[in-house]
Amino acid sequence: MSTLETPAPPPQPPAAATVRPLAKKRARPSEQLFKWLVVGLTAITMAMLIWLLTSVLIRGAGSISWAFLTDKPSSNPAKAGFNSALRGSIVLMMVTIFFAWPIGVAAALYLEKFAAQSATLTERRLRERLATGRVTGLGATWARTRLWWLRIRPRVVHLVDVNISNLAAVPSIIYGLLGLAIFVGVLGISKSLLAGGLTLAVLILPIIIIAAREALRAVPMSIEQGAMALGATRWQAVRRQVFPAALPGILTGTILAMSRAIGETAPLIVVGGVVYSTAVPSLNPLDAGNEALLAMPLQIYFWTDQPQASFQAIAAAGIIVLLATLLVMNLAAIILRNRYSKRW
Amino acid sequence: MTPPDRPRARRSARGRFGEKAVLLALAAAATISVLVTVGIVVVLVEEGALFFTDVPITEFFTGTQWFPLEGKFGVLPLLNASIVIALIAAVVAVPLGLGSAIYLSEYAPERLRRVVKPILEILAGMPTIVLGFFALDAVTPALQMVFPGLGLYNALAAGIVVGLLITPLISSLSEDAMRAVPNSMREGAFGLGATRRVVSLRVVVPAALSGIVASIVLAISRAIGETMAVTLAAGTIPNLSWNPLEGMQTITAYIVQVSKGEATRGSLQYDSIFAVGLLLFVVTLVINIIAVRIVRKYRTVYQ
Repeated sequence: MSTLETPAPPPQPPAAATVRPLAKKRARPSEQLFKWLVVGLTAITMAMLIWLLTSVLIRGAGSISWAFLTDKPSSNPAKAGFNSALRGSIVLMMVTIFFAWPIGVAAALYLEKFAAQSATLTERRLRERLATGRVTGLGATWARTRLWWLRIRPRVVHLVDVNISNLAAVPSIIYGLLGLAIFVGVLGISKSLLAGGLTLAVLILPIIIIAAREALRAVPMSIEQGAMALGATRWQAVRRQVFPAALPGILTGTILAMSRAIGETAPLIVVGGVVYSTAVPSLNPLDAGNEALLAMPLQIYFWTDQPQASFQAIAAAGIIVLLATLLVMNLAAIILRNRYSKRW
Repeated sequence: MTPPDRPRARRSARGRFGEKAVLLALAAAATISVLVTVGIVVVLVEEGALFFTDVPITEFFTGTQWFPLEGKFGVLPLLNASIVIALIAAVVAVPLGLGSAIYLSEYAPERLRRVVKPILEILAGMPTIVLGFFALDAVTPALQMVFPGLGLYNALAAGIVVGLLITPLISSLSEDAMRAVPNSMREGAFGLGATRRVVSLRVVVPAALSGIVASIVLAISRAIGETMAVTLAAGTIPNLSWNPLEGMQTITAYIVQVSKGEATRGSLQYDSIFAVGLLLFVVTLVINIIAVRIVRKYRTVYQ
């Protein structure tokens, strides 16, 4: 109702023959005010981002040097370097991707390409087999179990769906508690890069599954149906046609998931604590189980937590390196998406 | 209607075993995602239960003091701090996020929108340790000019940076909801003589309300689970207070504080981080479920 009241123009005296110009309506102060309000709010958000970036750059730019990237950590801020943290993060990412990628992509393939498919044919075949009465005993039980599974499968898949989207919203520190109790507590892995990498792998698993499913969904059904019409089984069609077509999208999602993992601090602190170590981790991921848990965000946290101002400067320098890494990863994702993704 | 399956069956019989093995492996991978959830619940409940054998659950929820070293385990100061900071974050993020969403969806030219939106989303992908550094290094000193005598650790700076973190979440999801409102509704209102402001506030926002509210609820859940920015900016002293100018320790900051030191496995302190972790998990889960309910119940579907 109120919508109708607001814009009603005052009645024009009939003597004035000129029609009230439409443009005048726009010039009303409340309209202008509201427009400037939303523009202003957007500008404030952008300004805060710019403030953040410039304050970090100004604070840290002086400490960035080649030596900063190649030196070991030190209790003397003038000599402290970022090398161990960089190496730690590289090994962490290798471990994380080694575990999260195959599992995430396989789960996405199953959920998107197999679990969601209709099984009317199989169901009919099973019913016919049971109806003939020739299958008895164990065979009949097996057939009935399969029929039951086919009936409840849509509901199970729906539950798994809900579960995955819930997992993606669980606070990252909870994953740290999971890693601490399972990887360190139950499996007895030392508080190392391996334990940290496994924890991050669990953390980004739902993100990879969601991204891979979206990439698979973007490949039209006709590709798969075409392959199957030529005699391929569903797995052959998925492996040779659908998967290669979806791969650029899957990789883009993977890079974005890794850029989430590389900045995570809280789960790593919970799993491994904040260790001060002057050891330089080896880049060989097979040694990850013996290397102290060091990573870029952990080192930044350690430095930020120190009271002296000189440590704040190298913390800012560390942040610049971390943000530069993130920038490169995101650019890679964008290039990958623009160059290789197909429009169907 | 008997399927002519004889010749086909023979050929596929050979490929079958491999296919079934592959299918089984894929299904096993999908099961792992369920196991993760089960694992989280089991770990939190099991270790939390150990804690509650030593500390009565009534004391945990009604005690107003959290001094683990003195055996005082009242969770209210931690929970209160998490809520205070999340509310400050919401006060910052709701106007910024909604304003940006309305601007991007109703006012901005398409080309500008395509530039501004990804820039806002940089904030969402910012590692939270960076926001914590920003709070300590820039926001708190700036606030100290406004509030002389403000301590280095305070809830206000923490709330502001967490608000920045969740602003793009609100603006992105709300804008999606607003753009899903069909143009015919806007055109109808314009046709009746409504101005752009009236169309935005009285037509588009009400029509997209379920999506907007859900985005705010999700953002608050994210703010409660946020860790590094609040640990660095709000400090590590439990403090049951509503004053945003004081320092206070959140649930997440407590978990970090204990993990940083060497809490030995099996000690009461070690168990306590799982107990508060369980509380955090339940709180965020409930909020997320509320968000999903809101969308499902109040969503109007336009074709």
